[in-house]
Amino acid sequence: MAVAAAAARVWGSSRGLGRVGLLLLRRSGARGLARSHPQRQQQPFSSLDDKPQFPGASAEFVDKLDFIQPNVISGIPIYRVMDRQGQIINPSEDPHLPQEKVLKFYKTMTLLNTMDRILYESQRQGRISFYMTNYGEEGTHVGSAAALDSTDLVFGQYREAGVLMYRNYPLELFMAQCYGNVSDLGKGRQMPVHYGCRERHFVTISSPLATQIPQAARGPGYGILSIRVDGNDVFAVYNATKEARRRAVAENQPFLIEAMTYRIGHHSTSDDSSAYRSVDEVNYWDKQDHPISRLRHYLQSCGWWDDEQEKAWRKQSRKKVMEAFEQAERKLKPSPSLLFSDVYQEMPTQLRKQQESLARHLQTYGEHYPLDHFEK
Amino acid sequence: MAATAVTAGRLLRLRAAGAEGHWRRLRGAGLPGGFLQPASADGDAAQRRQVAHFTFQPDPEPLEYGQTQKMNLFQAVTSALDNSLAKDPTAVIFGEDVAFGGVFRCTVGLRDKYGKDRVFNTPLCEQGIVGFGIGIAVTGATAIAEIQFADYIFPAFDQIVNEAAKYRYRSGDLFNCGSLTIRSPWGCVGHGALYHSQSPEAFFAHCPGIKVVIPRSPFQAKGLLLSCIEDKNPCIFFEPKILYRAAVEQVPIEPYNIPLSQAEVIQEGSDVTLVAWGTQVHVIREVASMAHEKLGVSCEVIDLRTIIPWDVDTVCKEECFLNLEAPISRVCGYDTPFPHIFEPFYIPDKWKCYDALRKMINY
Repeated sequence: MAVAAAAARVWGSSRGLGRVGLLLLRRSGARGLARSHPQRQQQPFSSLDDKPQFPGASAEFVDKLDFIQPNVISGIPIYRVMDRQGQIINPSEDPHLPQEKVLKFYKTMTLLNTMDRILYESQRQGRISFYMTNYGEEGTHVGSAAALDSTDLVFGQYREAGVLMYRNYPLELFMAQCYGNVSDLGKGRQMPVHYGCRERHFVTISSPLATQIPQAARGPGYGILSIRVDGNDVFAVYNATKEARRRAVAENQPFLIEAMTYRIGHHSTSDDSSAYRSVDEVNYWDKQDHPISRLRHYLQSCGWWDDEQEKAWRKQSRKKVMEAFEQAERKLKPSPSLLFSDVYQEMPTQLRKQQESLARHLQTYGEHYPLDHFEK
Repeated sequence: MAATAVTAGRLLRLRAAGAEGHWRRLRGAGLPGGFLQPASADGDAAQRRQVAHFTFQPDPEPLEYGQTQKMNLFQAVTSALDNSLAKDPTAVIFGEDVAFGGVFRCTVGLRDKYGKDRVFNTPLCEQGIVGFGIGIAVTGATAIAEIQFADYIFPAFDQIVNEAAKYRYRSGDLFNCGSLTIRSPWGCVGHGALYHSQSPEAFFAHCPGIKVVIPRSPFQAKGLLLSCIEDKNPCIFFEPKILYRAAVEQVPIEPYNIPLSQAEVIQEGSDVTLVAWGTQVHVIREVASMAHEKLGVSCEVIDLRTIIPWDVDTVCKEECFLNLEAPISRVCGYDTPFPHIFEPFYIPDKWKCYDALRKMINY
């Protein structure tokens, strides 16, 4: 998973978005590279030099035929702060966050985990149509969200709900989107887990994943300053994101953070991952290198958490989720007329005609449709 | 603006000499005699580069928008962009090679006038150009993206169809990229072949959430482009490249808008309706006058202008199926990629349109 850091710059309060964090992806072409990245700048052209003169290439000639092995190149080291047991390795890298903040990290990750369990189960029972869990990746969400300003604009993908959770998106609204009920801000348009929230500066999630792959895969190739971090180490993610954000704003250039992690759950409720990976591998990550466990060990070693609190919190968080869940299930779905709005800012004539045509159709054939579950 | 037009004009003439005149240049270059035989002077049509398949017909000078100036199509585009950047401080223009003025000169002078933060190049990556445009439009900026040739829009197809078009709908109107406009040179040009001639509007014509607009002339281009830029939905504006220099008419200097999703009946008629957009409007205008002259047929000529959402009411009524006296006829390019040397045979020229019309009235 890769997370590009956001630079917060104000475009002005146009279009009602208020303060907005702007993601500036200035990728460099041959010309752009030379200007914006001085460390990669080619030497000035000189016909006297025997060095390569190719614009944008800062390399030496070689007279031995050798192919570059891909595995050798991709040995980018992985930054981490805690070991797998949650102990700080290098004290100078400990962000020394206050207890309240670290507890918020922990409670966010565990609440997300609890919500995931309940909603996954609800899909199995046919109560929602689809679900995707975040198991194993909670550290990447929370570490990065915590390091950003709450007004930084986040363009998430479908397995990044922890960012929204960290920004205090209420359980009621998570559930509303999964159930597509009248409280859903997205008006029931998308499959579950495609959350969005304007107030919390989290752009509505879309399904296509490949829209992000070009950026993720080729950071250094694009001339973007990049780092690889242990995504299951919430402090490492936090530190890297904090620094990347600071520099992105100060230097007006993009940063790429590749947070290494492991997806413990199936891809979605439509997937049985035992078909393509070993159960042993999954168990390793679940038992031996899990972001929640590692943080809990850290909390316990600071004296900020114990088994009593763990038990109480599990009970409390489960109760909160169940309450929100039951309420969401009881609500009606939005009116079918909302099928037609927001395609454009204004409704074109043709769509209005189609909307009227559906209304007429339902007058005659309404009994064949689940109208009882929908608002009028 | 006048000074720019004069300079651009001079550069244009040099460019024309460079492109079409190179045979002449080599002849005079003092090369050993017999290296290149001069092009035969006896009018062997097959040897000469083809003449355009249409004649641009300028509209009468518009009087309701203030002072006008003679502009060709690319200058009209520059004028629209200039107006936009002047009145909207969030407007930015970006794409491949736009900084120096663009490969068709549409952005000449704009970087000097508005600065490098408002007019800038992107890498050669259409997915990135549109993806970036969507991103900054979401934050509230007016994003004007250029795709260098419509033939290259396909790497951005996913961004346009799956992201831009659906942004408002899928978020329940929490977010939108309505301030995005994508402009791109479009259509046949005589020698463009597979990858510099395409008219890909049909790929977008059934994608709810975007608007696709194609002007027939400089005056139409400026007004429609300004409407696209100001429209609160993502728009694709295709610019017929063959008209960039060939189409010249009086265009208002100040900004003005031509409404989207409104077709224009440019000629009334009672027997046959001809519908087209972009360059083809000039072809069918000529077909209409041929039909009148040779067949005594009265043709209604309609410029569709916006492809999606299109003006159904002007073009046809749902009940028209029962009122038609002949099946609807479509005259298009063949279902092959756009060929190079065969272009004169490929395009739906006035003879093919005329022939279809003739068959139709004799149905």
